[in-house]
Amino acid sequence: MILLDRVTKSYEKKGKPAISRISLHVEPKEFVILVGTSGAGKSTVLKMLTREEKPDSGKIIVGGIDYDDLKDKQIPFLRQKLGVAFQDFKLLPTRTVFENIAFALEIVGMPGREIRNTVPKVIELVGLKGKEKNFPDELSGGERQRVAIARAVARQPKILMADEPTANLDPKNTWEIVRLLEKINSYGTTVLLATHNVEIVNRLKRRVITLEGGKVTSDQAQGGYKQ
Amino acid sequence: MAKEVTRPTKLTKRSSQAGMKALEPRRRHRVTTFFRIVKYGMSSFSRNAWLSVAALAVMLITLLIIFISVVARDVMTSTVADIRDKIDMSIYIKPDTPSKDVDKIKVDIGRLSSVKSVKYVSPEEAHDEYAREHVNEDNTTEVLNKAKNNFQGTFNIKVVNIDNTSELENFIKTNETVKKALSERYKPSFSTDRKQAIDNIANTVRFAERVGLLAAVIFIVIAALMIFNTIRMSIHNRREEIHMMKLIGADKGFIRGPFVVEAVLTGVIAAVFATAIGYSLLFLAEDKLEAYGVAVHQTTSELMVFLPFIALAMILIGSTIGVVSSILATHRYLKAQN
Repeated sequence: MILLDRVTKSYEKKGKPAISRISLHVEPKEFVILVGTSGAGKSTVLKMLTREEKPDSGKIIVGGIDYDDLKDKQIPFLRQKLGVAFQDFKLLPTRTVFENIAFALEIVGMPGREIRNTVPKVIELVGLKGKEKNFPDELSGGERQRVAIARAVARQPKILMADEPTANLDPKNTWEIVRLLEKINSYGTTVLLATHNVEIVNRLKRRVITLEGGKVTSDQAQGGYKQ
Repeated sequence: MAKEVTRPTKLTKRSSQAGMKALEPRRRHRVTTFFRIVKYGMSSFSRNAWLSVAALAVMLITLLIIFISVVARDVMTSTVADIRDKIDMSIYIKPDTPSKDVDKIKVDIGRLSSVKSVKYVSPEEAHDEYAREHVNEDNTTEVLNKAKNNFQGTFNIKVVNIDNTSELENFIKTNETVKKALSERYKPSFSTDRKQAIDNIANTVRFAERVGLLAAVIFIVIAALMIFNTIRMSIHNRREEIHMMKLIGADKGFIRGPFVVEAVLTGVIAAVFATAIGYSLLFLAEDKLEAYGVAVHQTTSELMVFLPFIALAMILIGSTIGVVSSILATHRYLKAQN
């Protein structure tokens, strides 16, 4: 489902690479935790998967799409196939919960009737029933992240990527978000979770890929993590 | 005990091709998307009310200036044409010229290609006309009696183009019948003085036209810049939003569309107002201008006939300024795909 082959990326021409010769392979329906301190390269990996960044060298294939063949014009369509949740949620502040989720569907040209059908289902999935008409700033951090995740999964992507989704949340909300990700994974979506939260890593007992200084230092099927 | 996960499998070209196919845009519901873009454009137009009003005002002034300079040009042209049309050449002939000669001269002059029309006023008619015009003045009778024999026969000649009188002048200088009949008291008047004045007016009008055109161009540029800036400001305010839209896969058209819609909306509304204001101003000023001898009538009646076209042209100009400046303004932010 996700394949990186000896991928290297430097942000500065002569600087130390943010990631160097990273290779990893994620099977469909897997739940993978990408772990490491900040600066270890987690975000760079995710940014390369969403094509926010281009690798200097190496090959990336996601869902059968070879990024080397990707034209600029096709990038929106690539992103439409991926679900992404961000640490800072990235919601549209002037639109309601419903509209935020609907927006992701509108840009792929889904007909209005289908949107009106789909959005309530997703809102129910993430447990935000009754908050449809609220604006993002009327919601708690945990609720906002649920909206972001709802938006990410509304298009039923095969892959959901979450970049530090719990970094701004308290422990209770953190766990609710993690449970939500597990639930989404149980429906068959491949989940890639980037985090530096040791507790999550150790309690989830999922595959853990550890990044350190831009390199994969361990890749364990039921991993743990020590800081 | 954790076990190591297998290394990447070999890449095959076939799987990659199948994947690329998935990137073909799904059958886009173009109409739906279009209406969504329009909807977003309109909602952001009303949401950023003060910015919209500012852009609207600039656009309105620009369009009004364009309208006024075009109308003024038309009015001035027809005024000058009007004045030029009123000018005639006068050839005075001796009162005792035989009517046979008078007729011959009249016919000959009429044949000249540069002459539009010839009218002969006999000394008696001139006398009567003078009497009629000055009927209320005390000393008219006295003057008339004194001047009884001073009235000359007059040919009033209108030429096709007052800039071209050489043919006529030549004819008068060379034609024997004319030479014989020509009044000794009054020289033929080719309206040189008046022509000079008219040329001056025409030159002024041409200059005013150029200034008007220049002003229109300058204002179009200013309006485009202002609208460009307005859009840039609102894009700057919303760059996070745009970034987010890109990240969840909105294509350029979907992001840019609402801005273009907003600009077109500004253009259309401004055009409607500018047309209404321009027409009202012109009709309010019509009588006063006519009183000053400015030929507005023709222009106003033309304007009434062509109202739909003029309104359309204004809308086109307004929305073109809007579309061009919004595309330029969004270009920078949409250039990079990340």
